[in-house]
Amino acid sequence: MAGLAATFGSGAMTNSINEMDEAELFFVIGSNTTEQHPLIGTRVINAVERGARLIVVDPRDIPLARYAHMHLRQNIGTDVAVLNGLMNIIIEEGLYDREYVETRTEGFDELKRIVSRYTPRVVEQISGIRADDLMLAAREYAGTGKAMLLYAMGITQHTTGTDNVKTCANLAMLTGHVGRPSTGVNPLRGQNNVQGACDMGGLPVVYTGYQKVGDEPVIQKFSDAWGVDDLDKAPGLTITTMMEAADRGELKALYVMGENPYLSDPDSKHIERALSNLDLLVVQDIFLSETAALADVVLPAACFAEKAGTYTNTERRVQLSCKAVDPPGSARADWEIIQDVCARAGYPMSYADPSEIMAEINRVTPSYAGITYPRLEMGYGLSWPCPNEEHPGTAYLHKDRFSKGLGTFLPCEFKPMAEPPDTEYDFILTTGRMYFQYHTGTMSRRVGILEREAPEPLVEINPEDARKLGIRDRDLVEITSRRGAVKIKAEVTARVPRKVVFSTFHFHEVPINLLTNPAHDPVSGIPEYKGCAVKIRRCA
Amino acid sequence: MKRIRKDSLKEVLINWALDRTVIAPRRTERGECIYDTFDEAGFTLDIAKPSAPPKRSLFPQSEVIFQIEQGGYRQAVSSSPTLLFGIRPCDHKGLLQSQSFMSQDLDDPYYRAKSEKVLTVVMACPGSMSPTCFCTTTSSGPWAESGFDLQLYDDGDAFLVEIGSKRGFDLVSSSSFEEMDDAKAAEKIRAFQKAAGSRIPIISEVEDAMERLETSNKASDEVWEGFGKKCITCGGCSFVCPTCTCFTVSDRVVSVETGDRIRSWDSCLYAGFTKEASGHNPRRTSALRIKRRHEHKLLYHKDRDHHGGLCTCVGCGRCSDYCPVHIGLIEVAQAICSAKDSAGEEKRYSGGVS
Repeated sequence: MAGLAATFGSGAMTNSINEMDEAELFFVIGSNTTEQHPLIGTRVINAVERGARLIVVDPRDIPLARYAHMHLRQNIGTDVAVLNGLMNIIIEEGLYDREYVETRTEGFDELKRIVSRYTPRVVEQISGIRADDLMLAAREYAGTGKAMLLYAMGITQHTTGTDNVKTCANLAMLTGHVGRPSTGVNPLRGQNNVQGACDMGGLPVVYTGYQKVGDEPVIQKFSDAWGVDDLDKAPGLTITTMMEAADRGELKALYVMGENPYLSDPDSKHIERALSNLDLLVVQDIFLSETAALADVVLPAACFAEKAGTYTNTERRVQLSCKAVDPPGSARADWEIIQDVCARAGYPMSYADPSEIMAEINRVTPSYAGITYPRLEMGYGLSWPCPNEEHPGTAYLHKDRFSKGLGTFLPCEFKPMAEPPDTEYDFILTTGRMYFQYHTGTMSRRVGILEREAPEPLVEINPEDARKLGIRDRDLVEITSRRGAVKIKAEVTARVPRKVVFSTFHFHEVPINLLTNPAHDPVSGIPEYKGCAVKIRRCA
Repeated sequence: MKRIRKDSLKEVLINWALDRTVIAPRRTERGECIYDTFDEAGFTLDIAKPSAPPKRSLFPQSEVIFQIEQGGYRQAVSSSPTLLFGIRPCDHKGLLQSQSFMSQDLDDPYYRAKSEKVLTVVMACPGSMSPTCFCTTTSSGPWAESGFDLQLYDDGDAFLVEIGSKRGFDLVSSSSFEEMDDAKAAEKIRAFQKAAGSRIPIISEVEDAMERLETSNKASDEVWEGFGKKCITCGGCSFVCPTCTCFTVSDRVVSVETGDRIRSWDSCLYAGFTKEASGHNPRRTSALRIKRRHEHKLLYHKDRDHHGGLCTCVGCGRCSDYCPVHIGLIEVAQAICSAKDSAGEEKRYSGGVS
């Protein structure tokens, strides 16, 4: 988000899902697309079957890799080096889009200077990707007109997450793959409405539509809209910094909605300490999650089928969701709960229904101005920016000019992961999700068929490593990091490379985030879930 | 024989709906046609092929089969009079096949209770309702041979009404149904059927694939591998299939003292469907599960009553319509036919790219 906003002026998927049907090449990095965005994954598969090319860059042998013409398995945390290496080759061989670079971008000289150090041989040493393969990939990506770059949490969940995103953007701009149909830099968002939450200002630095918290005209606008005159000019905290502040006793109260940080945040012991240090913990959720169990106050919320509203999906498309059934017991829609809490805190709100909230969003958010309820009711959603009610919505961003004018190359140097393996903690643990479970399992683990498919946590370990450690498939192993230890069954599989183990954070029985490293990206605050040092042994 | 003017149909449905649930085509506010509870304002005849078959009226997506109370449990068999209006012949054939399947070996009281109270008004198809229709291949359309209560044939501003049962006869007693000369009606119906049948192309690969599965089952392993590689295990093909009736059973706690035992739709595409308690799974890969599914449609059907159909696929084409990676019965049959028998030879099938 932050990385794309800095480079292009807009933090979202630049292009749209339907454009995948016309793409000639997909460059997929850090996205287990078929498992985490299965319908987008099927678009990629169908495209490959009709002749599109596919380059997958991922340390794991993910299912999509079976369709890849090239699968580059980089060492974990070396994405900047890989992408810089591609740009080095593209500039060296004169394959970049000169006209585009000259007319649409700034900062090329600095980019050239920095990536010049990332020769194929250097990158091979850092990333483990063969120099020859890197050259082939660079030529293909640069040489294809309609090339879409897709990424997901494999790019963002690093201490260098923002650098990774900026570097993806650099690569796409260098080759002119932004601002045209079936191209672009396309972050696949991890949840159905995470784009909407960001769009609505669910970030510490912006109001709705990415209007900056500290900007005078913005402050004035929202002060007028809300009838208040003391809006805070300083950015707030990210979730990782909130937990640190709670741990230090500086943050006194936390209001958590639809999130389960006790299981989902890194270094669970630290999270438990931080949460117990609060004077007040309020949790608003549809089930009594592990975090809710620690709360002073639990506010039962309605689930998707029990409330009305909109979701904004990964392609910036705002879609209406209707209520199908009444919420059980005393559960209510989130907006109703928030409205009542605000009233009791001395700021009465009087929205009659979600359409009135949307009308306010239309008034104060230029990119959402034309996304009105009557239009949503008649169609299949609208993609922002949609500045007025006549506007059809925007399939792809940055046509002719970037949101911020010129696109800025923001070259980054490769920085190793925060906690590289050493002689004692000699493996890298990387975490993610699986197809059949979702996040901390608050919802999916209550579904019998999903539980039948994926009933227990497993850690993937390479057969070579397993043999050396005397570990057989489904043996119980202990994994230890500097922060904690868990016992978990092993799945011996070549899906993971040597010296890497993979597991998910779905299972409360084995809270894998006891192990993960809270070190986080300095800008976005996203922790390095994708890599920390661990050791592993077979339980006797 | 009877006939009914199209502009009188809504009145008839209003009457039919007085003492039963009528499921009928409906146009939503957004202009989509769905198949749902009869709604006077939204009623439409512009249904083409409904997105889902009517099986949920007899076999709901989930239903309570036992209610557990302190000290015991009681069976919960629910049913209510229902009329399915305008169902397509392929879907009707699916209902007949499912009724036989659900009553063979063991009685399924939940299904039987509903099926006893269901009336079917079939709408014969004048031709293909979508490019994936292949009922002429599977002998399951474009009109129903028997087993319906009423069947309607489009005749301009009216429908010819074929009566298929005593219950159907009772349905058409109102004055809205005009008498019609039997011989003339029969002639019109024959002409309708002839024209309709000729408009729906035969997909010869379906029968060829059945033949191949019968004679050289082993040869097509690579076909299954190719499809298995791209299946995303959504299970959608089972849910839109008129003849898929597999279910799973789960328990739901309602309160401290009460609970429900529920059965809900399942799919043989899920690994857990065949996983055994030991962890062993005889259908451990997607490829094997896709093979199993299609064998059940095309191969293992000899001992089943198809009600005149070719096999246990009724040619509705929905799996081909909705599978996001094009693993529909048509594609599978074509792949089986274009794969060479012996390994090593060139394969025309393009289900996978390496």
